Amino acid sequence: MGLWSQWAGKTTCIRSIIGLIPIDEGTITVFSQNQDGKNREIRRNIGYVTQEITIYEQMSGRDNLAFFASLYGMDKQSIARRIEEVAQVIGLEGRLDDKPKHYSGGMKRRLNIGCALMHRPRLIIMDEPTVGIDPQSRSFILSFVKQLAKEGSTIIYTSHYIEEVEAVASRIYIMDSGHMIAQGTLPELIARIQGDHFIEVEVRIASEEKKQQLLRLPDVKEVALEGTHYRIVVPGGIPVLDKVVLILSEQGLVTINTKQPNLEDVFLTLTGKQLRDEVPS
Amino acid sequence: MIAFQLKRSSRDLVGQAILILFPLILIFFFDYLYKNINIETGMGMGGQSRITALAIGFALTFQIYGSAISFETLAEDLYSPMHDRIFSSPVDIRKIIVSILLSSTVVSFLQTSILLVFSSIILGASFPSLPLVMLVLLASVVFNQLFGTVLMLLTGGVKTANMVTTIYGSIVPMTVGLYFPLPQTAFFRILRLYGTPMGLANTASLAVMEGQIRLFLICLASLLLLIVLLFFCLRPLVRRISI
Repeated sequence: MGLWSQWAGKTTCIRSIIGLIPIDEGTITVFSQNQDGKNREIRRNIGYVTQEITIYEQMSGRDNLAFFASLYGMDKQSIARRIEEVAQVIGLEGRLDDKPKHYSGGMKRRLNIGCALMHRPRLIIMDEPTVGIDPQSRSFILSFVKQLAKEGSTIIYTSHYIEEVEAVASRIYIMDSGHMIAQGTLPELIARIQGDHFIEVEVRIASEEKKQQLLRLPDVKEVALEGTHYRIVVPGGIPVLDKVVLILSEQGLVTINTKQPNLEDVFLTLTGKQLRDEVPS
Repeated sequence: MIAFQLKRSSRDLVGQAILILFPLILIFFFDYLYKNINIETGMGMGGQSRITALAIGFALTFQIYGSAISFETLAEDLYSPMHDRIFSSPVDIRKIIVSILLSSTVVSFLQTSILLVFSSIILGASFPSLPLVMLVLLASVVFNQLFGTVLMLLTGGVKTANMVTTIYGSIVPMTVGLYFPLPQTAFFRILRLYGTPMGLANTASLAVMEGQIRLFLICLASLLLLIVLLFFCLRPLVRRISI
């Protein structure tokens, strides 16, 4: 499962793994076999959920599922059985005989995923499967991906939505400008950056004197005072919250927030860039 | 797979209706227009009625436009994001192309057949030696489907293929003398009878209805030869897009 910024080369990477485009150098090994682009056995075991919705809108959901299954050499009986199973998994049981042009965006996305599951692939590759859908469908797809992973499927899931990756990924690969720059579990990646933690304290009456007092604490790197809000920067992992509370308790504490580094901070630290949507210049 | 493609090719009901009703209207219109003029078929129609010649001519004309059935269907699979979905499967892409060509041929041939049936029932056209006429029309359908597909694969998209087939479908019927009489010179006679694939199919159809079997065989064989040539052009083009 992975996290990529846009324009990082994720679709190129995926297409290389599947064998849709040749690679300039090096080798790609999938299921212990060399991916030379001609290996049909590798493709037989991959289910590819494309970023764009690639279904035939003028054909019924059932026809779509059956057609894509037939590309993997499944016989008619197995297809008929599998359609019912997959329809249940993607939540389209009652709508299979309708044409996707009458589906919502989320339903089309689910059918798009269903078409890739028909042949029971060993590896499922999902290229931003939640782009442009409503929150309910996104939530459905995320739960469904977690369920698939729990059942033992290997899934490569690309997204530039941090919360999605944090929610579904057991192992994260970060890619930027065509390079894989980091990999690991979420805690491993966060541990790599040793980022600063932030403490935000709102009080009833703020004072410059208390700010100076906070700055004199040995582990505090920086204190900003804006109105009645103190923003305190401390090195990651240093427990100073109790000392901060002690100093500011006389000021009348209103709220205290602490912010741990997250995947976005990891990405920011490693690439120097925000996860962004704009086209690079 | 063919059943799926057949269903897919025949889903555009408006398109199907246009390819059947429009030529019927044109046949009726031109029949009315030429009531007092002898249409130039180049065949010396003998016992055949004008309406029969018009029905064959327009059936052949609209087969050219019908070639879009295959190349537009193919383009949806080859030149859209669907490409990655299909090519990521282990299927041999030739299977997809053949199934689309076959199903489009069936659909286009059905359109032609329905047009002849309607021409016969509504407009009173008669078609002697019908099975052989249908054989010629089938060969013409195959030619047009292959022609459109080769064009599309050569140019890498539907835009040029659509433009070329539209221009081709507008000009070629004129060279057959379908819309107006052509000058009575040797050049125009050869152009009308043998100068284009549509001319060959038109000549073969009218010849077999007139009992001129030799001419029928020559024109049909020429048409089949063109089909074989197109098929050989298709092979490297398919290989080029295959992974």
